Amino acid sequence: MGKVMLEVKDLKTKYVTRFHEDVYAVDGVSLKVEEGKSLGIAGESGCGKSTLALSLMGYYFAPLHYISGDIIVDGQTISNMKPDDVRRKILGNEIAYIPQAAMNALNPTQKIIRFIEDVIHAHGIKMTKKEIYDMARERFAELGLPEEVLEKHAVELSGGMKQRTVIAISTILSPKVLIADEPSSALDVTSQKMVIRMMRQLMEKGYIKSMIFITHELPLLYNVTDDIAVMYAGQFVELGTAKEMVFDPVHPYAKGLMGSIIVPEEGMKAHELTALRGTPPNLKNPPKGCRFAPRCPYAVPTCTAMAPDEKEFENGRCYRCLMSVRKLREVYANGNESKPEPETEFD
Amino acid sequence: MKGYKKYYGQKIFWYFLTLIFAVILNFILPRLMPGNPVSALASKAVSGMTDSTAIQKVINDYAERFGINEPMYKQFFMWLGNALKGDFGVSFSQYPRPVSDIIAKAVWWTVCLQLPAIIVGWLLGNLLGAIAAYIKGVFDKAILPLFLFIGNIPAFGMATVLLFLFAIKLKIAPSSGGYGYDLIPSASWAFIKSIISHYQLPFWSIVLITIGGQAIGMRSMSIYELNADYVKYSRFLGIKDRKIVGYVFRNAMLPQITGLALSLGTMMGGALVAEMIFSYPGLGMTLLSAVNGQDYPLLSACTLIITIMVLIANLAVELLYGVIDPRVKANQMD
Repeated sequence: MGKVMLEVKDLKTKYVTRFHEDVYAVDGVSLKVEEGKSLGIAGESGCGKSTLALSLMGYYFAPLHYISGDIIVDGQTISNMKPDDVRRKILGNEIAYIPQAAMNALNPTQKIIRFIEDVIHAHGIKMTKKEIYDMARERFAELGLPEEVLEKHAVELSGGMKQRTVIAISTILSPKVLIADEPSSALDVTSQKMVIRMMRQLMEKGYIKSMIFITHELPLLYNVTDDIAVMYAGQFVELGTAKEMVFDPVHPYAKGLMGSIIVPEEGMKAHELTALRGTPPNLKNPPKGCRFAPRCPYAVPTCTAMAPDEKEFENGRCYRCLMSVRKLREVYANGNESKPEPETEFD
Repeated sequence: MKGYKKYYGQKIFWYFLTLIFAVILNFILPRLMPGNPVSALASKAVSGMTDSTAIQKVINDYAERFGINEPMYKQFFMWLGNALKGDFGVSFSQYPRPVSDIIAKAVWWTVCLQLPAIIVGWLLGNLLGAIAAYIKGVFDKAILPLFLFIGNIPAFGMATVLLFLFAIKLKIAPSSGGYGYDLIPSASWAFIKSIISHYQLPFWSIVLITIGGQAIGMRSMSIYELNADYVKYSRFLGIKDRKIVGYVFRNAMLPQITGLALSLGTMMGGALVAEMIFSYPGLGMTLLSAVNGQDYPLLSACTLIITIMVLIANLAVELLYGVIDPRVKANQMD
């Protein structure tokens, strides 16, 4: 087992709206990412993926607020640090972030190299302009980005190039954790491929030690990350290795989500595409009991009354459902006809 | 560099074209006014003369000297040729002072009054807008609306109010002129002090009405930019707020620079009013006396010099814009 780079314990954050309503967008998320590993987070739009990405940074500003839980980066708990310290020491240095809309992530009136200088100086690192330029040029070359980009403004770059530039800037200080929020979603397939290749290079060359990759494109996760977590209504409903999650999902939501994709692998021909009914619940007042119950094809009356806890099974996989894994698998094997009583005990 | 050259080349070309039209209009419009100022001038010279042939001779002589017997287009080219040499003819109303002499005296008063006033007003306005957007509180709720109110007072109204308040009621500032009428221009302390005290009222009347309009624009631009994606991204890279505020204000300033260019044009007219009210010896006063005296050469020269000043100011702002905003240059590249 490698060194744990990022550990999150029961993290809870909320949005406070203009009308002072609380929206619990991240509600008790725990995860662990080891050195050299990557974790993918999947889920429908509105399930709290992006909020989780923001929450993991340990730096909160309105409308997002921290409630409870720990974030530990390489042994250092950052969730109880002063915001200014987090900003100066952690952000960009230990944890880096790649935003969802990299198109507008760069200041339009600043050359790329000037921004890199600002990033480096913000962390109190004493380097001359020349040293920074040389370092940035080297890093850009390693990642297959042309040197000219450094002297350009954001408007002069194509969409894919902008995204890759943002990734290179985010990781310029070789952070321990990289949190990528849909870094490839707005791109065409060719640019997507380049972005993914770049993320792999970053890991291989050790510029980042671990990665959290958030996307709604599941096939991408299967190819990119070691583990996958499926998120629903602010909570993880299932967590396992990429292979397990794609070919043997346990939770009904994960099952439904994975059922809606095609992965170019053996055994996919028999795969029947399914669609999930309904939309995720409003997190202003999440459903009592299991949050997925209103949409779950296997739900029984108990599901709407009792909230399931996250349970571990088979070498570190977790899921959140009242039914036992054995029962769920039985149900999947028999089709939808039978609706078994849920068992709360672990099998 | 090529992009810059093309951008600047195009800008200069269009401004030159504008200048040509302005020059033509400047020449024609005053001459379409009814009345013949030359005969008025000549009749002054012949007052007391009784010999009608002699009178006719004098009038013809004057007409010839001022060239008003020639057709309009010939007059135009004569005037243009002379104007290019810096000779705008002789003033009718202040005969025989040459127009260029009158303008050269007046123009510096105007430039030294208006340019600093407009720029100071613009800077203060932007500062207030930025503070209102970033710090909010009393700046956003009280000071900005107050200046917005003040900004909507027309130039002549503001000038009159200041004149009444500070010159007549409080008697802490002189009411008219560029310097004390009892002083002779010199480099003495007394003269400089007099200039400064005469400068205050016209200057602040322009500054005060400029602030509000600029501030409201800057405020909304700043709020927009503060919520831009690059602000969030910069924060997550650990960049300090002070630096981010710098990014935001530079970007928010861009439309404000266009605003400056526009207001230079419109304010020139409004600010001339301030000169007239304070009898400030600048172009505004000269223009007023030229209109009253049906003095075409002086009138044409005044409006021409104002046009040129506005065009130069606008051109300077636009060229500056190309340097500040890389997107403008990039758009001109193709």
